[in-house]
Amino acid sequence: MAKKGAAQSLKAGSKPKSQSTGGKADKQKTDRRKSNEPAVEKAIDGKEEEWEDADSDENDKQPAPQPISGKETKKRKAVGEELSEEDSDSEDSEDDEEEQGGVDLAAIDDSESESELDSDGEPEKKDDEDDEEEIDVEELSAEDEEDEEQIAAGTRVRQTINNKEGLLTALRRFALDTNPKTVPFAFHQSIVSSKKTEDSIPSIDDDLQRELAFLNQSLEAARQGRALLRKEGVPFTRPTDYFAETVRSDETMQKVKAKLVEVATAKKAAAEARKQRDLKKFGKQVQVQKQQERAKQKRETLEKINQLKRKRQEGGSSALGATEADDIFDVAVDNELASHANKAGHNSKKRSAGDHGQPNAKRQKKNAKYGFGGKKRFAKSGDAVSSGDLSGFSVRRMKKGGKAPRLGKSRRKAMAAKK
Amino acid sequence: MAAVYKALSKSSGAKADKDTDSSNGAVERKNKQRVLILSSRGVTYRHRHLLNDLAAMLPHGRKDAKFDSKSKLYQLNELAELYNCNNVLFFEARKGKDLYMWFSKVPNGPTVKFYAQNLHTMEELHFTGNCLKGSRPILSFDGAFETEPYLRVIKEIFLQIFGVPQGARKSKPFIDHVMGFSVADGKIWVRNYEIREVEKVKGEGEDENKEDGGDKNKGRKGKGGGGGGGGDKDTDISLVEIGPRFVLTPIVIQEGSFGGPIIYENKRFISPNKVRAELRRAKAGRHVARMEQQRDKLARRRNLGLEGGAKKDSSGLDTRELFA
Repeated sequence: MAKKGAAQSLKAGSKPKSQSTGGKADKQKTDRRKSNEPAVEKAIDGKEEEWEDADSDENDKQPAPQPISGKETKKRKAVGEELSEEDSDSEDSEDDEEEQGGVDLAAIDDSESESELDSDGEPEKKDDEDDEEEIDVEELSAEDEEDEEQIAAGTRVRQTINNKEGLLTALRRFALDTNPKTVPFAFHQSIVSSKKTEDSIPSIDDDLQRELAFLNQSLEAARQGRALLRKEGVPFTRPTDYFAETVRSDETMQKVKAKLVEVATAKKAAAEARKQRDLKKFGKQVQVQKQQERAKQKRETLEKINQLKRKRQEGGSSALGATEADDIFDVAVDNELASHANKAGHNSKKRSAGDHGQPNAKRQKKNAKYGFGGKKRFAKSGDAVSSGDLSGFSVRRMKKGGKAPRLGKSRRKAMAAKK
Repeated sequence: MAAVYKALSKSSGAKADKDTDSSNGAVERKNKQRVLILSSRGVTYRHRHLLNDLAAMLPHGRKDAKFDSKSKLYQLNELAELYNCNNVLFFEARKGKDLYMWFSKVPNGPTVKFYAQNLHTMEELHFTGNCLKGSRPILSFDGAFETEPYLRVIKEIFLQIFGVPQGARKSKPFIDHVMGFSVADGKIWVRNYEIREVEKVKGEGEDENKEDGGDKNKGRKGKGGGGGGGGDKDTDISLVEIGPRFVLTPIVIQEGSFGGPIIYENKRFISPNKVRAELRRAKAGRHVARMEQQRDKLARRRNLGLEGGAKKDSSGLDTRELFA
């Protein structure tokens, strides 16, 4: 704040002019507020306009920090750089107030071209902003106080410097002539695309979209460039028999190629594996289906037999002594059974290779008596599964050593007596 | 009389010269650019590789040994003059991780300082393109470069440093790559692509080339042989990235070369140190909060006499004392 005072006294000389223009700037400021959006920056003709523009930028910042880059701020938040975003925003607006005096001192010192305009613009800005500053200071949050501390500690603080006039002069001083009417394209080979690439990027985080936008910009330029160069008769395409050193060595390209191949094979292998997995899954389904089918068939057969048996019984009761009929039914049942057995046998033969059914009763008895099926040693020793089984483990008991152990009888009695 | 005649003829001759100049400017106009490429000490391998890549792409560049100072950058002006360079591309590494790139026009400015992020060099294998060493690139600039004065300055400086001047000593006569400069998110994204000329899908009479179009490289070569000069009208262009790629955040533009008043400063640039500090602070904040909570809990428990060491003071009026 002391600095500011110094600056003001320094610039006292240029006060009259500034005041005469102050009203204008003021009006402009209110206009900006109403529209509440940054003015479209036009080409700057004179110095006066230039500082006014800068001034209004400053003023815009007061009501709403950084309305200029509001959109960009949002975007940056999306990028995830917001960590110190809030901080820096508030800081910026703050610092502009805090440091204006100091900046202008510096500007006066080292820049001849801008010193006058800055000094012109400065005092009236102060006048305008003085009342606003009070309000802002009141609105400051704890965070801002922290920033103030930072400033006090001498942290370097950034502020807006965008001396458009200076930039344009500098540009004029060193720019090459790239006027398409007088200069052939082959001279500079640069193409400025007609539209902004940023507009075609939905989100800066989306790598694919972003790179595609960049690529499209370059592709358009390449097409245009080729057309222009052909028109000027400049060789463009490299002939086949022209060999020369390339930017990337053959070794690198070999590696690139190897990697491409590797990626392709990996992809292929993955696809193959997936196919196998799917087949396996499908095979299992088929198996289950077959089993169900078999079970159903069996059920049906048994039902049929039962039916036949019932019929026979009924027949027997209705027509007593019809032994021949009995025989006939028996035959029918036998046939049924045989057919079923045939089917079952067909299946069981297949199955017999894998699992055996239950052994007979005698064998079971013997197995139980004498033991069968591998050794009995180490049956109770731990293995991977048992050591991996932590179901009986409790963190609390591990930490606290469980509940206190039960004391001896005499001691328990003593405790009870104490109570 | 003779003097008058001489003067007259001279002036007319000059005029004629000018005319020829405008008619075949390519011959007369001189775009003499030489770039001094060097880095400070303390660059990482990535920075060094990027530097090498850029040096390989700029046949009008002169690579020099590491510069041994980070504060006296104005000495670079003398160095550049020593090597007859009128541009300087200086890599300033800080803390062994942050890279700042300075682009400067030597005798009298301007100078642009960038913070470089997301460096990918040509060594990386996911770039599959390649191009001739020293061929002149087509420079593709985003439309946004014409909007702001500071972007115009940056564009001009890129044009002079990355654009290979016509007839540069080691440049190749064919054009096979594009350098793209785009503005997005307040940063400048630099990309480098190979131009591959592939047959259009409806190519006539070049079907045998289309057969091996799967291997694009081969296809291109085959086409080049068939086309020669004017026959390749019907080729389409596809781009394949070569690298390097990097993102530049403009920080400051100075009027002079490594000196002079600052004519642009980017307030949206946050120093990486600040970012890191902020991260650290956030992390520390979490820890501090946790410790505080723990301390509170302990204190509370101690007051209640629940913690092992300090028991609640037993007063004489405690039941246990009274009826012991």
